[in-house]
Amino acid sequence: MIVLQSVTKSYGDVRAVDGVTLAISRGEFAFLMGTNGAGKTTLLRLISREEQPDAGVVLVGGGNTAELSGPSLTRLRRRMGVVYQDTRLMPNATVAENVALPLRVRGMGGSSVASGVTAVLERVGLADKKARFPRELSGGEQRKVAIARAVIASPEILLCDEPTESLSAERAAEIVDLLLDINADGVTTVVATHDTGTVNRLRRRVIHMDSGCVQSDTLVGSAAPSLPTNGPS
Amino acid sequence: MARLHVARYLLGSAFTGLWRNRTMTGGAIVTTAIMLITLAGFLAINDTLNQMVTALGRKSNLIAYVRDEARPTQVTAIIDDLRTRPGVGEVQFVSKEDALAIFESRFVDQRDILDVLQSNPLPASVELRLNNPAVVPELAQELQAMTAVFDDVVVPLDVVEEVIGISNLARVAGSVIIIALTGVTLFVIVNTIRIAVFARRQEIEIMKLVGATDWFVRGPFVAEGAIIGGIGAGIAAIALVVLYAQAAPVVTRIVSFLPVSTDTDFVRNLAVFTLLVGLIVGSLGSYFSVRRYLSV
Repeated sequence: MIVLQSVTKSYGDVRAVDGVTLAISRGEFAFLMGTNGAGKTTLLRLISREEQPDAGVVLVGGGNTAELSGPSLTRLRRRMGVVYQDTRLMPNATVAENVALPLRVRGMGGSSVASGVTAVLERVGLADKKARFPRELSGGEQRKVAIARAVIASPEILLCDEPTESLSAERAAEIVDLLLDINADGVTTVVATHDTGTVNRLRRRVIHMDSGCVQSDTLVGSAAPSLPTNGPS
Repeated sequence: MARLHVARYLLGSAFTGLWRNRTMTGGAIVTTAIMLITLAGFLAINDTLNQMVTALGRKSNLIAYVRDEARPTQVTAIIDDLRTRPGVGEVQFVSKEDALAIFESRFVDQRDILDVLQSNPLPASVELRLNNPAVVPELAQELQAMTAVFDDVVVPLDVVEEVIGISNLARVAGSVIIIALTGVTLFVIVNTIRIAVFARRQEIEIMKLVGATDWFVRGPFVAEGAIIGGIGAGIAAIALVVLYAQAAPVVTRIVSFLPVSTDTDFVRNLAVFTLLVGLIVGSLGSYFSVRRYLSV
């Protein structure tokens, strides 16, 4: 589903991603682990084609993302849902309007949008807050709205950047359970995090990054040992 | 059906966007209105000044005195020819008898002078009222060359040259100021809209990242720009009509010696022009302001 071959990306003198090669299968759930500056966010931005590699190839669904532009890039974006670290909710739009956006851009309207929004907000537990503005919600609730927006149009791929950052253990667990639930529907899910507690709790693939390189790629909780629980850094 | 949903959504989004960003919207509307009032006001002033200069030019007269021995058929032919010349408004033949009658009516107290004379000493003349003072020197030279017909040609050349100078200066200065003011107006309006779009650049980025086409993103912003430009221009147009209605009688009274037209057609056309400028600049300003944030 997602393949990176010798991908390199630099910002000035800083090499954010350095020769990364990896493959993530359809329907898989994978954690991208690493400290701040390890290259997790850049890797997600390369997959979502917010950035283009300086070298190497990023393939999504078999297509080279570097060759996409205009309508073909729009089609790729519509196959993905992305939960950004800063949520990127529209501040002047209500929860319902934020969540409905992916359906609106597909030309949908009327009752189909309203029912879709209600269903996804019920799934994330925010059905009673659809008329609120993002500033009226807690950090955890904003993350849930961002997740709802990312999954409302039934994407094939879900990319999440630090979805549990700054949340209490209880709220973080809620978010992760929600992501597992979405993944259970067959959505390929990649979650960037440095929350080792969450990672150790789950038997999932962990791609550990450091200084832009993949340091290890293991299934935590099975053959590989648990990661040291150093908490969020 | 999808297109209908999209069109309804885009228009709804435009109005919602305007309302939710009402401080920015209000600022943009007021700025647009002020700039367009300034531009349209200057256009009105410039038009009035041009009319005054043109009217002043029409005051330019040329008088050619006819020799007593000139043949009437020759004079008539010259008058017919002069009437076809560009820049010539009115051509009038004043006979010797007419000249005497005019003299008598103007100088009632000095009728005794005429009694002393045995015959009418006043010459017949051809009087030209000119629309364009620029043709006067050439015309005067041409008539002066007809020595068999005309005895003398009287023309206030210094006044004519003065009028031509003022007229040219007014036109050049007016054009320069209008071009500069138009440029400043467009610059200020477009930048006001750019600031409004800049404040919402994240919104544009988000729309693109969830798979919106460029037109889906542009649509509400272009509609918002047109609405801002339209409302601002509407305010300017109303202010212009009201101010013109107040100022026109005053101007007419001050320059009552000149036939300056302060008709409603002009101000109506100017109001429509202002409205169109507002709509076009508003929508195009938004179109180009959004473009730079679409390359996500």
